[in-house]
Amino acid sequence: MLGFTNNTPQPHKDHAACSGCSLCLLVCPVWRRSRDIGLTPLGRAKALQYGAAAADIAASVQSCTLCAACEPVCPEEIGLVALTLDLRRQLAQPALAESLRARMEERAARPHAPRTSLAAVLLPDPALRARPATLARAAALLGGTGTIALAHDAGADIALALEAGAAVPAQRLARFLQPLRGLKKIVVADGLLLRHLQQWLPRSKIRSVGEALSSLANVRGALRAGDLYVIEPRAYHADYQRLVRHYDGLRSVAGCAFNLDLQRIAIPAAARSLPQRLGWETAIDAADGSADASEQARWILQGRKVTRIVVESMEDGAAFERVSRLPVVHLADLADDGKS
Amino acid sequence: MHVTDVEPGTLGPCHVAPDALRGIKRQQTNPARWSGPNWPEFSAAVRARGIELLETTAARATFATDAGGTAYGLAHGVVIARSTGQVALLLRAAQEYRVPVTVCGGGLTTEGESVAFGGVLLDMTGMSRVLHIDAEALTVRTEAGIFWHSLAEELRRQDLDYLSAPLNLTSSVGGTLGVGGIDVNSARLGCSADQALALQVVTPTGEIVECSDTHNAELFQRVILGYGQFGVITAATLRVRRYTPLRMHYFYYASLSTAIEDLQLLDRNDASDYSGILTIMDCAVNVLVAFDSDEREAAFMADWRARLRGCGEFGFGLRTLIHYVLRPWKLGEAWYLLQRKRELFPELRRPEYMRDGTMFDRSVVFSRAVWKFWGSRQMVIPDLATSAAKFALAVERGNAVCRRYFPHYTLYLVGIKLRPEHGPHYEMSCIPPDAAGWAYGCEFEPMLDGRAYSRDYLQSFKNEIYDIGVDIGASYYRFGGMMKGYIRRVFGDALVDRHLAMKRRADPAMILNRHVIF
Repeated sequence: MLGFTNNTPQPHKDHAACSGCSLCLLVCPVWRRSRDIGLTPLGRAKALQYGAAAADIAASVQSCTLCAACEPVCPEEIGLVALTLDLRRQLAQPALAESLRARMEERAARPHAPRTSLAAVLLPDPALRARPATLARAAALLGGTGTIALAHDAGADIALALEAGAAVPAQRLARFLQPLRGLKKIVVADGLLLRHLQQWLPRSKIRSVGEALSSLANVRGALRAGDLYVIEPRAYHADYQRLVRHYDGLRSVAGCAFNLDLQRIAIPAAARSLPQRLGWETAIDAADGSADASEQARWILQGRKVTRIVVESMEDGAAFERVSRLPVVHLADLADDGKS
Repeated sequence: MHVTDVEPGTLGPCHVAPDALRGIKRQQTNPARWSGPNWPEFSAAVRARGIELLETTAARATFATDAGGTAYGLAHGVVIARSTGQVALLLRAAQEYRVPVTVCGGGLTTEGESVAFGGVLLDMTGMSRVLHIDAEALTVRTEAGIFWHSLAEELRRQDLDYLSAPLNLTSSVGGTLGVGGIDVNSARLGCSADQALALQVVTPTGEIVECSDTHNAELFQRVILGYGQFGVITAATLRVRRYTPLRMHYFYYASLSTAIEDLQLLDRNDASDYSGILTIMDCAVNVLVAFDSDEREAAFMADWRARLRGCGEFGFGLRTLIHYVLRPWKLGEAWYLLQRKRELFPELRRPEYMRDGTMFDRSVVFSRAVWKFWGSRQMVIPDLATSAAKFALAVERGNAVCRRYFPHYTLYLVGIKLRPEHGPHYEMSCIPPDAAGWAYGCEFEPMLDGRAYSRDYLQSFKNEIYDIGVDIGASYYRFGGMMKGYIRRVFGDALVDRHLAMKRRADPAMILNRHVIF
């Protein structure tokens, strides 16, 4: 791996520690859809314990949505996301890896973007970039005193490589991280990228768009008791112990409902497998024939009496717009909404 | 070494060091693996009937052991239950080709009961959808492979809750109904199996039968607490209730027998909605009580609190400090207690599960703690179930065994309110035959602390606990699998033979969970 960065943070414990408690099943969107233990972290860990290779469980490895809900509930504290990413790396698909590498190397070869003089930066994901008005409002809210810059390089290519378990060329990673070093605050839209940035830049204060916006008084003040607030699961589960308190505080202040289950794990609304994220599959899973990308959003809404859906992530917003006629509002648009 | 397969319903001699344990007659506990006659024909037949049969190592390995982690076996193939009709087709084929079928729900057995030693492993979690909630009648109809936690998730969306369920999120409804299920409200509401109103069952010969106390009652009686011998539960109608958060109180005792006396006092007088005892060895004995309403809590405080001999956390801490200051040679034990308290107590009071001093999700709180502080890849949890009168003696004797075998352990004690009309359900089950009004159960769980114990050592420990049951006339919650040698010793040959005869009639090829209790 010379010349490449080991971009998968090493777990404290690996599959050998799995005791088979099944707690990961309870929160796994893939299990909820398929009712197939083989497609869950438990199934992968048990298969590995008995000598299976990554190729033997390829379908399971690729079906994982990396929502990371399984990690905070694992009593053995196995690094389940890292385990899945490591398995994806072992399943390297040459064409995909080459394509991702070429994309990252092309990005690395571009001229250096000017380093921001501001103390904070916002890294939007492609879905947020596709909504420039919302992105502008998010930036305005977060930089209320003119202190946040929009990143020229948001690392979308790196995020995709991480998702696929592909190695990130060291040169590309260095180019990406260079302007971020020394910043006081980095606000990230992509939850998987956020998890890795916390590893790569341990001294920086790295926050999700959702947490950063929901910490603002004017955004909090615009939340209503009838709202369903949809937490972006990847960032939430990456820093669960701290964020569970943050959102519990938000609940007590705003009185709104959340996409949390009884364990206070965020139910993903837009759970997508690797093939789907890469655009290879349109249905969430072709394996069981009952694939329905909207099932998770329906489950979150089931039995709830809400008047509005507030999302941290544009992807989640799109999932709810498919299944509900309720107004769906991004957190960044809330402050305006509150004033009207 | 060749281990011969024995006729289901009998126990063979143990071929592994038969004289290794002094005074204990060794019997074959893990059954020999079914050798697979007719497997190719069977697998072709079930596939022809449209059933997906998974034969990869990865699929089979998932079910190679249970929560106990001491019994290991591989099925020839795995079937994920998808519908009642599919299960019926599978059992018909299994009966025809004489292929054993082992049913697995949450897989939380500890003695290998849900481990397949060859044949088919039927994974019931594939059938885990809630079918209908009747909020007016306070009932729910659900597929039986559902985890209690998943059921709670659905019920809570309608402000409902189940009555009682094991303090473990990943127990399955079907598995629990088959063995009993205890909760900290069982002293008031009975065991979890008592809340079942009706079941859909696939018999070992593949018939689909609906049963209840009034309809096919004999099958209902045999399937409830029947250890999976008389059918596969595919759906269940359960009583539910309005959801309420609860307010918990803890009282600390230095004596097991005093705590048990107080627990039984509370249970007899319906003084609390929830009650139980959780200990750190026999040094910190914690009686927990909880209430669904302010009124019940106020009544307890007015009428019963003063009669309890336990003290609060501060008082107990002070007493314990004095105890260990006077016994410096026990500082290691004191350090362990302190560490345990510092780790465990915050987990039971995590703010995200509490609101205004009430606990919102008791099963989540306790289940997380169970797995975090008691769970590991290997667990042995022998237990004793007795009448109220024998309970203190059973616990004291079991505690002495724990002391001899392990430096650290936990006891979990709870009462179970019995329903007189359910007498037939209780026959040859965890409910002891001489119990009236309440039965009491105690789990003896050693903390293995990452140390390696041999299977012989663990088996000797379990045997010593179970010998107490034979001696005083008790029953056990976990009497199947590796502990099934005790069934005839506690229930006697006549009763066991009668049930075995019923089993042979219902399951001519003895295919369904064939090694669990017979």
